[in-house]
Amino acid sequence: MKRWPIELWPARLPRVQQLPVRLWLKQAQALLMRLRLPLPQWLRRLGWRRITAVVLLAGIVHICATLAAPMLSSRHAYLLVRDKLPANRMVVLPPQSPGNQLLPYVSPHMLYAVCRYDLSGGPVIVTATVADAGWALSLHAAQGDNFYVMPGQPLRRTDVSLLVIPSGPEGALIQKRDTAETPIVSPTPEGLIVLRAPLRGLAWSAEADAVLQRATCTQVRP
Amino acid sequence: MRLLRKVLVNLAVLVPAAALLGLGTAWYMIQAGSRLSTRTVGPWVTWSAAGRSDADPYTRAHVAWNAMLPVSSTSELSFRAKTDSSGSRLTSACDYAIVMEEFEPAWWGLAVFDGDGKLIANPAERHGFTSSTAMREPDGRTVIILARDARPGNWLPSGRSNRVVLVLTVQDSSWAAAIHDGSAAKALPEVVRTGCR
Repeated sequence: MKRWPIELWPARLPRVQQLPVRLWLKQAQALLMRLRLPLPQWLRRLGWRRITAVVLLAGIVHICATLAAPMLSSRHAYLLVRDKLPANRMVVLPPQSPGNQLLPYVSPHMLYAVCRYDLSGGPVIVTATVADAGWALSLHAAQGDNFYVMPGQPLRRTDVSLLVIPSGPEGALIQKRDTAETPIVSPTPEGLIVLRAPLRGLAWSAEADAVLQRATCTQVRP
Repeated sequence: MRLLRKVLVNLAVLVPAAALLGLGTAWYMIQAGSRLSTRTVGPWVTWSAAGRSDADPYTRAHVAWNAMLPVSSTSELSFRAKTDSSGSRLTSACDYAIVMEEFEPAWWGLAVFDGDGKLIANPAERHGFTSSTAMREPDGRTVIILARDARPGNWLPSGRSNRVVLVLTVQDSSWAAAIHDGSAAKALPEVVRTGCR
């Protein structure tokens, strides 16, 4: 078995010969030589300075790509429904079926009312009733992050009235005013409001549909 | 000059290799997940922080890239199974029995999709079962048969699509808590392959 290359620091760089890092590298090399790791031939040929550089650079790329992925996504929920739904209007969707599906993997066991909001023209008032357990009113940023949810409680109807406002100074000004609605700051100027009702059988579907139809989503002047 | 050429050659080889490695691992962690971001019970996988404000970057990227609208609720979780309980990929060429034994959450819904997340067209217009619509066996178990052709009992058509994905939604706060705190001892349904054509 080949050992690790002895020379870790270029001999042509005399000024750094005395740096502590060189000593540290020597120690690390000695440790690796003792371990006699069964590395493949091509990796040993590359040399571990190059391998370390690749791993460090790959780590930086990995972190940057992961953090940037939500912003760079071309298929997040808002983009997929933008052309299907009007802005700032609650739309009750028909039951999900093949060819009539709002989003991938969306549950066929739920009925949905969806409002695609755009706060560029002003805040949006949402009113809805969360009728029972399994129901939920959820607000999602453009990338899908859920920043507000009102889950249903068993045998308890909850009427919800929200004022969705933009973040930043404009939103702060609106927040200072006295409003009957609960102000909710949206992290993005666009997003989705979803009211969903579980399909618990045909006997309940008409009632659930009526509650969904009563939900509203209206833009108001700032 | 020789040193410069050596540096340039190294950069030309190492930088693309590092970029490829970094992007590849990021893509894997975002799409497939790891123990950092997912909880796995048998073939069922859930992104336990999906929708939460404190979600990790992998979960946030997964949500964005898969057009998900997760609800950050302590009472509901959504699991996906792309394989059966033995680890083989689910396919419509095979029949499966999804056996729910001692599986008693307040409410559950099981739906079947193709590999792209689309509902599968079938003459029965059936895309899933819930705890209210599935029939129980005399011994209390619930068995759902995932198959291309009609079967007696709870038949869930898998159509002609090659890859099949099962999505199980569970509404039960104790279940959700067990998954969130990592003590997910409660067994989720088994997915047993019963035959292939």
